Amino acid sequence: MSATGELQRRFQRAVLTEDFAPGLFVAEGREIAGGLGLYLMAYRARLLSALRDNFPVLHRALGDEAFAELARDYIDAHPSRFRSIRWFGDELTAFLDAVPERLPHPALADVARMDWAIRGAFDAAGAPPLTLADLAALAPEQWPQRRFALLPSLRLVDLNWAVEPIWRALNEDAEAETEAPEPLAHVLLVWRPELECLWRSAEPVEVAALRTLAKGARFAECCTALPRPASPIRRQQPPDCCSAG
Amino acid sequence: MSKAVQGFGVGLRTEHYSDFVASPQRVDWLEIISENYLVDGGKPLHFLDRIRRDYPMVMHGVSLSIGSTDPLDSDYLRQLKALVERVEPAWVSDHLCWTGTDSLNLHDLLPLPYSEATLRHLTPRVAQVQDLLGCPFLLENVSSYVSYRADEMSEWEFIGELVARTGCQLLLDVNNIYVSSVNHGFDPRVFIDAVPAAAVRQIHLAGHEDHGDYIIDTHDHPICDAVWDLYAYSVRRFGAVPTMIERDDHIPSLGELIAELDAVRLVAERVLAEQRQAA
Repeated sequence: MSATGELQRRFQRAVLTEDFAPGLFVAEGREIAGGLGLYLMAYRARLLSALRDNFPVLHRALGDEAFAELARDYIDAHPSRFRSIRWFGDELTAFLDAVPERLPHPALADVARMDWAIRGAFDAAGAPPLTLADLAALAPEQWPQRRFALLPSLRLVDLNWAVEPIWRALNEDAEAETEAPEPLAHVLLVWRPELECLWRSAEPVEVAALRTLAKGARFAECCTALPRPASPIRRQQPPDCCSAG
Repeated sequence: MSKAVQGFGVGLRTEHYSDFVASPQRVDWLEIISENYLVDGGKPLHFLDRIRRDYPMVMHGVSLSIGSTDPLDSDYLRQLKALVERVEPAWVSDHLCWTGTDSLNLHDLLPLPYSEATLRHLTPRVAQVQDLLGCPFLLENVSSYVSYRADEMSEWEFIGELVARTGCQLLLDVNNIYVSSVNHGFDPRVFIDAVPAAAVRQIHLAGHEDHGDYIIDTHDHPICDAVWDLYAYSVRRFGAVPTMIERDDHIPSLGELIAELDAVRLVAERVLAEQRQAA
């Protein structure tokens, strides 16, 4: 390896492991205490800040100290491989699932999943949603063969807890008083029709339909793949959507 | 629209999107952080396209890692090129630094050893980026807190040699020169005197934090007196180079930032007027 390559590898190891790198720097006593120390400190502060940006409600739920502790463990376990720091934290939910004891309540892993899904929808590719008028313009005989593409921003997020009320309360007010959520296996939809992200929980039949469409199925295949409802489907208004803003 | 970039600008920040959309602002051009727009859609690209209609732009990157001993990241370069085609910037800049090795990114602007080996390493990489971008490519001096035993020359000698070998142009960060001069104990005017003037295409001004033993380039404070003086010194040497305030944290209102930019204009106008009178 070149001398420059060796220098960079040793410097990087010093930053990642806080294991100082003797022999690299001029005036080592001062620089180990000061100069290199600044790089070590800045590295952790910058990645902590990126995690705060990407998991704002988890940060509020845990508080500064507990979030910083979790972030420190994650930063040590998953150094960034991204060009843009915007993507840092992509493995945090898996990291939490692997060792649930890292969190004071298991539902907080779902809060993290919700944060990450909304962050992902925020700058996903845009596409105009079909309107009712677009659908009404389709002739009945066209429907069975038609395939529908889902919005690129749409995320179907499997959650184990009813965390949406907590997420909404803390998103609106960092000091909000919240109650522990109930266990509830369900799917959260997150999407961005224009510039604002929206979310709501979805019914199982809707999830099944969306997942079938996502595989590229024709509308007819989508209909036959749906589970038979236990009771007749009632006509109803679409559920309210919540802005993630 | 591809207007020439001249005069005085600021870094475009999300906090100021609505101000730029709402009414014309006393800013001649804008610099965007390239990485903030290497996304597929949503608000970043929406506001970029909207504001680009009214202001000339330059692109400023933070993760090219031109000095890393890893190969240049071809995915990143492809995305950067696509953004160049969208924005049509007057030029693209990044930092004379490395940001990580072995495929990791420390998300910091780490200094390079100022040596012949580093120059030999950088020269073909700069050429590769210049060929790909198809527009002028500038490198910015970083502030630093360590000096390497492997250094064989001063930072300004290193920069001069790199310009001579590659034809790259320079984004001179006057605050970074000041920060490094305090941290390493050199006269910042020596740096400015030595830089090849014809290569200086843009100037950054910013604030920093004073921690006693070290000054830290935080870009989160107003410009300090010493940097104002050094800016005036730079205008005497380089003339009317496009200059901007780079604020990365504790973002003030756009009005406050523009008031600071007006002060930058005044300094430049005063120095240039003095030079005209003396001529």
